[in-house]
Amino acid sequence: MDHFFTLDLLTRILRMSTPLIFAALGGLICERSGVINIALEGLMLIGAFFAVAGTYWTGSPWLGLIIGVLCAMAGAMIHAVWSISIRGDQIVVGTAVNLIALGLTAFLVQSIWGTAGGSDRVTSLPKLGGMSILVPVAFVFVPIVAFVLFRTKQGLRLQACGEHPQASVSAGIDITRYRYSAVLTSGLLAGLGGAYLSIGNLNYFTLDMTNGRGFIALAAVILGGWNPWGALAAALLFGAAEGIQIQGQSTPGFPISSDLLVTLPYIVTLIAITLFVKARSGPAGLGKHATTS
Amino acid sequence: MLTSRLNRRQLVIAGGAAVAATPLLSRLSVSAQDSITVTMVTDTAGIGDQSFNDMANAGGLRAQDELGITFNVLESQTAADYVRNLTDAAESSDMSIGVGFLLTDALAEVAAQYPDGKFALIDSVVEADNVVNFLFREQEGAFLAGAIAALVSKTGQIGFVGGIRIPPVMRYEVGYVAGAKSVNPDIQIAIAYADDFENPDKGKELTLAQYNNGADVVHAAAGRTGVGAFDAALEKGEGFWVIAADKDQAHLGPDAQLAAVIKGIDTAVFDGIKSAQDGTFVGGIHNLGIADDGMGLGAIHASIGADVTDVIDAYSAAIAGGAIVPPVDDDTLAAFELVSPDAIPAVEATPAS
Repeated sequence: MDHFFTLDLLTRILRMSTPLIFAALGGLICERSGVINIALEGLMLIGAFFAVAGTYWTGSPWLGLIIGVLCAMAGAMIHAVWSISIRGDQIVVGTAVNLIALGLTAFLVQSIWGTAGGSDRVTSLPKLGGMSILVPVAFVFVPIVAFVLFRTKQGLRLQACGEHPQASVSAGIDITRYRYSAVLTSGLLAGLGGAYLSIGNLNYFTLDMTNGRGFIALAAVILGGWNPWGALAAALLFGAAEGIQIQGQSTPGFPISSDLLVTLPYIVTLIAITLFVKARSGPAGLGKHATTS
Repeated sequence: MLTSRLNRRQLVIAGGAAVAATPLLSRLSVSAQDSITVTMVTDTAGIGDQSFNDMANAGGLRAQDELGITFNVLESQTAADYVRNLTDAAESSDMSIGVGFLLTDALAEVAAQYPDGKFALIDSVVEADNVVNFLFREQEGAFLAGAIAALVSKTGQIGFVGGIRIPPVMRYEVGYVAGAKSVNPDIQIAIAYADDFENPDKGKELTLAQYNNGADVVHAAAGRTGVGAFDAALEKGEGFWVIAADKDQAHLGPDAQLAAVIKGIDTAVFDGIKSAQDGTFVGGIHNLGIADDGMGLGAIHASIGADVTDVIDAYSAAIAGGAIVPPVDDDTLAAFELVSPDAIPAVEATPAS
């Protein structure tokens, strides 16, 4: 057991939480503006893929990161146009974005690298103390998002769009512009989360490498009460469940069998949702359109 | 769990050959000597897993080159694709190959619907006249992997990272433990499962955790998840080893791979196709081990000396000769009597193959 609580466990938890923090912050901003975003998974996948492709094309992981994030924002633009301007059902649009992301990346992996499973290896972003440089970046974003959302005029207006779209329109807020900005910001953050997975923690892309993290991030948004600090806590909780599970399995003689340990993240999620979610409710105008703008 | 996966049409790759346009016509025209069409269905890890799907694909491509057959691959994106892909395969080709234990139920269902079709299944068994099954005694190769891990380890601690604990992976695990404990009964072995064959990120984290807890050799039997084990070894640098499963993966990290358990899936696929091509196909079970050249430990790193490889060769000969029978599950592992390197029973030299 003396091998269990180590610095290694702490850094692992931070590494596992990082993609969730990025994506959860993105989802939170989007939902605060009143747009449901279940496309986080797909946007992360697009970010992960184009970060590798961009690095492969340019030779620079920094340019790759920018390309990955821009492509995730382009994906978010699809979500924005169909959800906001065309007024499609936001769940259906989000699902479509996820499906497009999975199919597109599978197709492009095949056409660029000639294998169906994944990309070649590329240069990864620099690391600090065994962690990608993007790990501290994720944590820096939390107070920034909290400040913008709660302390600036734009943030408060964004929340108004999510709470009461009709009243916001009456008050002269350009709800369309705010919602577009929010969805694009969620693309930026989800793209960072995806790029972290591919060129931050690893140095290649594999098919469907986000592995449901976009949805777990969405769960972190809800569990965290649509609050950046709450989302951070929830992302850390999920990361900790995963990290502890890995640590336990990798410690010889650990008293809990690996069969049980692999279920730990799911058990933690169920307990957390049972304990905390009842009291939470999202922005009142989530998924609702204003009649005129 | 909350994952959204896509039920899209599968990619048809390999050979660039068009799928036979008219299944009925192609089936009518087949006689024993004609060029046949073979369609392989992967599990969800798919081509590019650097592991058994790739090996099966290599066997099919070899058959395409050497036997002039038409070889197609249908990749499964989700478990829900298995039945549909196998049905498509049975409709469009003379022989359908299911790659992996995960396709067992689907192949049983489809083979029953197409009694005239020929089927091959890797790593599992469907008992039917039209199905030829190829099983491997993974425990034999894994025993050698465990032995070399224990011989090379300087810390007295080694690890195992598995994908999902299905029977072939379990045979890897228990064989590995039996081999390692035979060499060093006091060795510490961490055993971890990613619960996923497609998650290299988790494979890397599990392997890193085992290294950081004191292991210096990790055997990964985890499909594409196992690719991450190499990332962990490369990050840790010299003195941290990976033993690959199913095939030589040295290209992922030439100086990180201690050895590879080689599983003759490519040969099995080739032989299965050949039997369908030359009309000798019969259903049944082939159980391939070291003695059949179906398993073995290969690609041993150049820095490993003869003191180690001699022991491995002796164990290998003893297993091939039947003097050591590595365990296949938890019960046989518990009952397994360790064979120390000084006490490896000598066996008659097996006939050269």
